[in-house]
Amino acid sequence: MLTRIAGGRVIDPAHGRDAVGDVWVRDGYIVDAPPGAQADQTHDARGKVVMAGAIDIHSHIAGANTNTARLLLPEQHKASTRRPAETPLSTAGWSTFETGCRYAEMGFTTVVEPAVSPHHALHAHLELADTPIIDKAILSVLGNDDFLLGLLRQKDGPAAIRDHVAWTLQTSRALGIKCINAGGAVAFKANARSFSLDDAVPHYGVSSRAIFKALQHAVRELGVPHPLHLHCNNLGMAGNVETALATIAAAEDVPLHLAHVQFYAYGKEGERGFSSAAPRLAEAVNAAKVVTVDVGQVMFGQTVTISSDVLRQFDARHQAKPRKWVIFDGDANGGGIVPYNYRASDFYNAVQWAAGLELFLLIDDPSRVFFTTDHPNGAPFTTYPEIFALLMSRELRAEWIAKLPKEAMAATTLPSIAREYTLAEIATMTRAAPARLLGLSDRGHLGAGAVADVAVYDDGQGRARMFGSAALVFKDGELVVRNGKVTHYRFGRALTVRPDYDAAMDRRMAAYYDTRYGLADDFIKVPDFAIPRPAPFGLVPCAR
Amino acid sequence: MSEARIDGRPVTLEAAVAQAAKLLAASRLPVIAGLGTDIAGARAAIALAERVGGVIDQMHSDALLRDLTVMREAGAYVTTPNEARLRGDTLLLVGPSLTETWSDLGERLVSAPLAAEIGGARRVFWLCPGKSAVPAGAKVVGRSPAELPGQLALLRACVGGRLARVPKAIAGLATALRAARFGVAVWSAAALDELTIEMLFGLIDELNPATRFTGLPLAPADNAIGVTQASGWMTGFPPRTAFGRGYPEHDPWRFGARRLIEDGEADCAVWISAYGPAQPNWRTHVPTITLTAGEPTQSAIHIQVGRPALDHDSVEHDPRTGTLVAKVASHRIDMPSVADVITRIAAALPGGAWPC
Repeated sequence: MLTRIAGGRVIDPAHGRDAVGDVWVRDGYIVDAPPGAQADQTHDARGKVVMAGAIDIHSHIAGANTNTARLLLPEQHKASTRRPAETPLSTAGWSTFETGCRYAEMGFTTVVEPAVSPHHALHAHLELADTPIIDKAILSVLGNDDFLLGLLRQKDGPAAIRDHVAWTLQTSRALGIKCINAGGAVAFKANARSFSLDDAVPHYGVSSRAIFKALQHAVRELGVPHPLHLHCNNLGMAGNVETALATIAAAEDVPLHLAHVQFYAYGKEGERGFSSAAPRLAEAVNAAKVVTVDVGQVMFGQTVTISSDVLRQFDARHQAKPRKWVIFDGDANGGGIVPYNYRASDFYNAVQWAAGLELFLLIDDPSRVFFTTDHPNGAPFTTYPEIFALLMSRELRAEWIAKLPKEAMAATTLPSIAREYTLAEIATMTRAAPARLLGLSDRGHLGAGAVADVAVYDDGQGRARMFGSAALVFKDGELVVRNGKVTHYRFGRALTVRPDYDAAMDRRMAAYYDTRYGLADDFIKVPDFAIPRPAPFGLVPCAR
Repeated sequence: MSEARIDGRPVTLEAAVAQAAKLLAASRLPVIAGLGTDIAGARAAIALAERVGGVIDQMHSDALLRDLTVMREAGAYVTTPNEARLRGDTLLLVGPSLTETWSDLGERLVSAPLAAEIGGARRVFWLCPGKSAVPAGAKVVGRSPAELPGQLALLRACVGGRLARVPKAIAGLATALRAARFGVAVWSAAALDELTIEMLFGLIDELNPATRFTGLPLAPADNAIGVTQASGWMTGFPPRTAFGRGYPEHDPWRFGARRLIEDGEADCAVWISAYGPAQPNWRTHVPTITLTAGEPTQSAIHIQVGRPALDHDSVEHDPRTGTLVAKVASHRIDMPSVADVITRIAAALPGGAWPC
């Protein structure tokens, strides 16, 4: 079938396109305008903005910790409206079904769940399989697992580490590797209460720096497109910009992605010993061309923090609101689920809000700063449209700043920043750049051959409304959203990489699980038959 | 081949499915209960419940919801069976019924060696074991389960330094717990009430500022945890969730299957027990569709189903690992799974199959 999305302002930074024109779709893929062809179906996009479907590289939408958060907070997700026809469970508050629908309604068509323990990969994939419309992927977490730390302790060398990383990616069917406070969760189990870049992990004698460097190199050498996705030490602490700067320096010339850097942009200036250090961090990111970051923007309101940084979450438990939390000592990282309410009247929260926006606005290249709230840690992903609006309007920021504590705004440079994002920059940050960062050459743009993931927005009614409620969304060429509402379900794929490794690692891992756990390693596998969708996985090529 | 019956008379599977759909379509408030099934069966059952405006409940909800209630009122410290086995240098077994809930407790946890890097010997304490067989080397504090709430309160107060006169056994136990490197309390909610579990959470919380301590609530049988997980991601809530108003509502009392039926609020039931021969636990008659792995029952409609992981491939919660695990059928036979049967029933409802 041939579809024409006609007469919209097509913004496709990957091809330098920003002009009124058509987008053509045939059988699920974007095609060049076929000369003289008659479309089977035409959608009028006049007066509207047409972009590729958006990609979220870091959003905690599935898996054991997210599900525990759902079960911990029944009072936070009561549904109140009846579901529309043909979209079962879509208004179940905070269900996988609602998640897929809300993302699609905002024009997002690919979302990455960035923190899955390999032992819980099957669980995460089952949740993702029940998340309709969008494609998705997981990042597998290494860096606190006994096997990797054992390899480092034994000085087994980079080849063994590469094989283990590749084995983990294949076994858990992941798109990349995440590392969360490397060594910190193990140290916490041994009664540590803080853990920094050069601290040694008890029992293993290796530093956080050594762990993340080993993973960073292994990921690159395997040809995995997405660089190591790193959650640094000392999250959330005053003065932790020094940790982030040291980590950036340690990246040297190997690609590295730093997650939710807003939570590391803190100085110790001022009477309260807490200030925004976002300008220093932004300067370092601007200078380190191999480094990419996502922001983890904070917005005000009730949310819940979900992190596999169990040490940090244990520390945060006294700030829980409502006053309850789950601290999970998992097989490697585990996790902490701590509800939190960001308040506009709170000095610290206001500084956090400003620091995130400063990072967005002070990092020059929109293809190296990624748009996230670290959902739901900084804010629910449903606040994205408001954040786009803030990035695009200095005037709107000034209205917010005027309502926030003056001493907090004095601890940031935000009021002085004039930059306003353009639509093309938003499209770069949310489409072209994340596709490149994840190695997804088939999306994030509107060139011929791309999967036909297309979002059409009404222009001229305010940016928050525009991005909150897409006029039309196509997934694989199929119209799935009309006037901001999902019209019916389809189910996407989980995107994975399969780097090669020496088969000896299979035997080694089987022996390891048998010896250490007294179990066959079957329990961590994710076979096709377990996932209740046809063709549930899509393969993303590695560079070697 | 599946055996199917209507009012005790053998019928084809198609006839039983058609009759089940008819009964559900005519029902004003059906309950889908038992839910002793794998993840695929739970998904299908939850989707069916939404479709027919019914209620979901699981046969072990009483125990499940005791742990969950404490978690959502106060919180939880938890670990995995693997971590408890490898690192738990101090085990505090709490109350009776532990080995009934987890027959592998002794082998997989109590007598298993600690990880090499941890070293040393495991210390094991059992608070109020009742008549349970206590493993060699475990030190018993208190005996009768009836004493447990009081013993636990004393222990917590002692750990928190709030007791002027401390019974000797409690003082010794408190000292041992405080000296743990990675201590793990193990309990089965089947044998404890919510206040006792909350006291235990408070004890663990008070140990953690100085040492590391966590909990291992044992999983009830019949994939109760797996069903709860699927219910959580599909609806946001655990079982005892209703869809009568077109969206999920959760209430542990209002939406208990047994109460709904015995109080005459529910007018039809589906009872699912694919792991064993469990029968409905209500005392009042209500037209019931049974999906069980066992013998035909006296229900209005009975459909025999395969056993997960034995007769057909399955995903279910594994109490040895605390995770969802995919299992290949060990004795594959031609018998429909719970998911197969429910999908057929849903397709036979007015309006046909829905995309879930």
